[in-house]
Order: sequence, then C-alpha cells, then structure tokens
Amino acid sequence: MAKKNKAAANEIKLPKSRTSLIHNIKKYWPYYLMVLPGVIFFLVFKYIPMLGSVIAFQDYSVFKGIFDSTWVGLKHFKALLTYPDFRRIFSNTLILGLCKTVLIFPIPVILSLMLNEVRNLKLKKAIQTAVYIPYFLSWVIVGGLIFDIFGVGGLFNNIRNFFGLNTLLAMQKESWFRPIYVVSSIWKDAGWGTVVYLAAISGIDLSLYESAAIDGASRLKRMRYITFPLLVPTILTLFLLSIGSFLELGFEQVFNLLTPMTYSVGDVFDTYVYRVGIQQAQYSFTTAVGLFQSTIGLVLVVTFNKLANKFSDDGGLW
Amino acid sequence: MRESVKDRIFQGALTFLLMILGGIALVPLLTVIAQSFSSKAASDMNIINLWPVGFTLDSWKYILSDVGLWRAFFITIISTVIGTALALTVTALMAYPLSKENFKLNHIIMLFVIVTMIFKAPVVPYFLTLKGLGLFNNPLVLILPHILSAYNLAIMRTFFKQFPAEVEEAAMIDGCGYFQILYKIIIPSSKAVLTTVGLFYAVTIWNQFQHPLMFIQKTELFPLQLKIRQLINGGSDIANIAAVANVNYTEGTLSAAAVVFAIIPIIAVYPWLQKYFAKGAMLGSVKG
Repeated sequence: MAKKNKAAANEIKLPKSRTSLIHNIKKYWPYYLMVLPGVIFFLVFKYIPMLGSVIAFQDYSVFKGIFDSTWVGLKHFKALLTYPDFRRIFSNTLILGLCKTVLIFPIPVILSLMLNEVRNLKLKKAIQTAVYIPYFLSWVIVGGLIFDIFGVGGLFNNIRNFFGLNTLLAMQKESWFRPIYVVSSIWKDAGWGTVVYLAAISGIDLSLYESAAIDGASRLKRMRYITFPLLVPTILTLFLLSIGSFLELGFEQVFNLLTPMTYSVGDVFDTYVYRVGIQQAQYSFTTAVGLFQSTIGLVLVVTFNKLANKFSDDGGLW
Repeated sequence: MRESVKDRIFQGALTFLLMILGGIALVPLLTVIAQSFSSKAASDMNIINLWPVGFTLDSWKYILSDVGLWRAFFITIISTVIGTALALTVTALMAYPLSKENFKLNHIIMLFVIVTMIFKAPVVPYFLTLKGLGLFNNPLVLILPHILSAYNLAIMRTFFKQFPAEVEEAAMIDGCGYFQILYKIIIPSSKAVLTTVGLFYAVTIWNQFQHPLMFIQKTELFPLQLKIRQLINGGSDIANIAAVANVNYTEGTLSAAAVVFAIIPIIAVYPWLQKYFAKGAMLGSVKG
C-alpha cells in the first residue's frame, strides 16, 4: 500500500514535458508509428556511420572491430597534415571548388537573362528542351560522351585535324582536366540551372518594363536596370548556398572524368578516399581525411546558410 | 509596344546565339548516335562527326544481344520501380506527422533530419556500416540507401501542411483513423507532389553510380550504369570482341551504342521529367 502511494507520488513528480509526451503518445500513437521507418533510416544510414567515424582515432582493424581496435588519438590527423598526397588533394579540391563558384556559377544567370529575351515562345521552349536534357543523364553517360568526343576519332580531334593540328588525347593531359571539368559541368547542369532564375524573372512586375519602355529604355537597358537587379537576391542566395557546398564537387563527376594520368590535378577528397580507403582498405587514415572534409563542410554550410537567411527571408536551406 | 530597330537586333542576336548554344548542347548526343550506327571502316578512319558514315546496325545488333547488358537493364528497372514505391511510402509516412503541430516530436525530429544534411558522415565508416549490415554484393544496396532524402521529405511536408485541417477533422468524426486519413484522403489529393518526389527518387536510383561502384562487385549484379561504365572503360572483353576480323564494328562504335542504349529510356520519359522536375525545383527548403 505504502509502495503504491510512493509510485503514485513519483508519477506526479515527473516533469511536465515528460507526462505530456506520454499523453501525446497515447493520443497520437499512429504518428509515432508512421515516423518510425524514417527515423530508423536516418539512424542506420546517417547516424551510425557518423558514430563510426571514431575509427579515425584508432588503428582500425576489420578483425578486431570497432570496440577492440587500438586507440591512437590524433595520429592520423597529424600524419595527414604532413602527407604530400593530402596537400595535393586539398589544393585540387580547392581549385575545382573555385572553378565551380567563379566559372560555372554565373552561366545559368547569363543564360536565363538571354532566354528571357527570346520572343518566339515555341523557339524558347525548343531551346530550353535542348539545354535541359543533359541534366537527366548520369555522370557515367556524360563521362562516356566526353571520352568519346575527346578521344581518337572524336569530334574534338577531327576538328583539330581539319585545322592541321595534331591529334591530342585531352583526357590524358593534366592541363586539360580542369577545363574539361568546367565544360562538362556547364554542359550538364547550366541549362537546368536557369529554371529557378526564369521562375524569378517571371515574377517580375510587367508594369516596370512598360514604364521603362515609355521612358525610352532599350531592351538592353531594361535587362541591365530592371531584370538583373531584381534577380540579384536570388543570385546571391544561390551563390551563398553554393559556397556552402564548396567541397562537394561530386564524386561521380570527377571519378568519371579522371584517368590515372590526370590524378595529379584531378584527384580530390572524394576520389582519393574511395581509392585509398575503400579499394586499398586504409580505413582509419581515410576516415580522418573524410572527417576533416566533413568538418570544413559543416562550418561552410552553417556559415553560408546563416548568411543566406540573413540576406533574404526565405533564402537558406533551413 | 513598338520595338525599335536596335531592340530587334538585340533580341535577334541573343536568340540566334541561344539557338547555336542549344545546338551545341545536342552535339555530344548526335555524335555518339552517329558513331553507334557507323561502320568499322569509317570508325577506323576517324571520319564520323555528326552523321553516321557507312550506315550499319552491326554495333546495335551486338549490343542488343549482350545478355549482361539486358540483365543490368532489368536490375535497374526493378530497383527503380521497387525503390521509388518504397521511398514514396516511407517519405509520405514520415512527412505526414511532421506536418502536424500536435505531434510533439515534430521539431526534434526535423532537427534530427537537418543535422544529417549539415554534417555528412565520411564515406569509409558509411561503407563499413553498410557492409556490416550485409549489403555488400547485395542488390538491396541499390534500393535501401535511397528510400528517404531530407529534401524530398521537406517538399512533401510543406505540401501536407497546406492541407485544410477541416477535411481531416470531418473524416475523424466519421470514424477514420490517422492511417486511413493519410491513405484515403491525403495521398489521393497529393498526386502532383507525389509524382514530383517520385520522379526525383526514380532518377536518383536510375542514375546512381557511387553505391553500386562501392558495393557491387559481382558482375551479374551490376546495374545499368556500372555495366555501361565497364563497357566504355574497356573493363569487359569488348576490345577483344571488336578486334576479331570480319566484323563491322569497333570498340568505339560498340561503346557508343551502349551509351545510346542507356540514354534512350531517359529520353523516352523526358517530357514528363522536364515538367515535374521544374515544379520540384522551386521547393527545396526545409523551413516552416
């Protein structure tokens, strides 16, 4: 009897949020059941691997497992900073990231400003259809197309030969890797990138153009002084988000464009980790490399998402 | 509005430039199609540009009789269909409670989801985790890692939020449970968002390369993209096959045919993709 009273007293003493949670579960139990598969998904495919990153602080051995492997502290992180390979992949990643933000990012903006000037709607639609297609192809396919064009007997060399130049195996040339990375990105994604900008342009008040036209502003001037300035918030938001994902160059793209001859300029974090970590089973060291990358990525994403939110109300991802 | 001559020239020039760019965008596709229909002689002489030279179907006959390619094709079709159906189920199930303010864990779970977008687990522990789950050389690895994405969850959640509460309350009075409301009322009236999100998932699964590359080593389990990569990279015996005398194809024309083979399904559903992807492109924020 006394025990029962004590239990009752305990229940009363429970913090309010906890009792209301129990209440909430009792009342809305189907909700809890519904989110369960999704929560398990995130736990298994995202959170467990995150916790598994502790192997960066071990000399992980598959046979000993995560609980019995020797702890080595920051050994791999120290090794990483002095490792020449690491400096190479770090600078390759930075250079390609820079290409992405400086050379690739502006193209969809320019394309959408141009597309906006096409008066014939059928023609506009046809152009959009043509430039959107590559976005839906996989990087394996795009890689295949690029190797085909730049290979012996490909269009690139046929044109070179036509102008009396020698056949050049561009895919195997270090100096050509970055230009090909940029061009392939533009070919695949720039067309599709116009969708968001064109939507923003279609939201611009038409009376602005009309009054500008009455004042005698030319098409170019209207583009320069109306369309572009009104597009700037969208551009800036997307720009900040793109810097936030600076290090995400796309494993599939780089991997499908890379040849052993271009490792020195094209090997980036993702491809290096795949080759050395997964193929050569250097698990702990490459996890340290991955953690390094994820941590910088985290700082970049959070910082630039915050900036994007500050800049426009609905800008950031979250 | 009357256009001045200068404006017309300006617009005409931009239109012309865009037509050229649109044409250039199609050049890689045209040249690979041309290669796939060209003869061995033309291929050896390096004279194929945008049009087939010495038209022949021999490369295609060879590629279409490749059992491995068809097997890869069906593996990809099956994993795309099952994966998309499963993904839509899991995503809708999770998005629905998350669209409700009276679900107490709403904001905690959203935070739990957003964290995974911000901090990406390194590839190696990810690989080891999935391998530990028995997903190595297991076709399920083509499906399970793709059945939920934070972006698609956010899109669906935003859509469900706009659903009028009165309809659900009325259904509840009529004795519907929460599962019934989701299944009988919410889902049927969310076809647009389900199609958009479904296509996002389908294209991801269809085009996936990194997961099969890491996890599938048995050639008989290769999905289409991995098979194509193997064919065009000389990872199969395609070079030896093409080196045989008396055939009317080369390594180049065979791999071109393989690439076109993989492009055809995408082109077949392209009008659809274009329409629904454009709708989805406007909705990529987790807020609200």
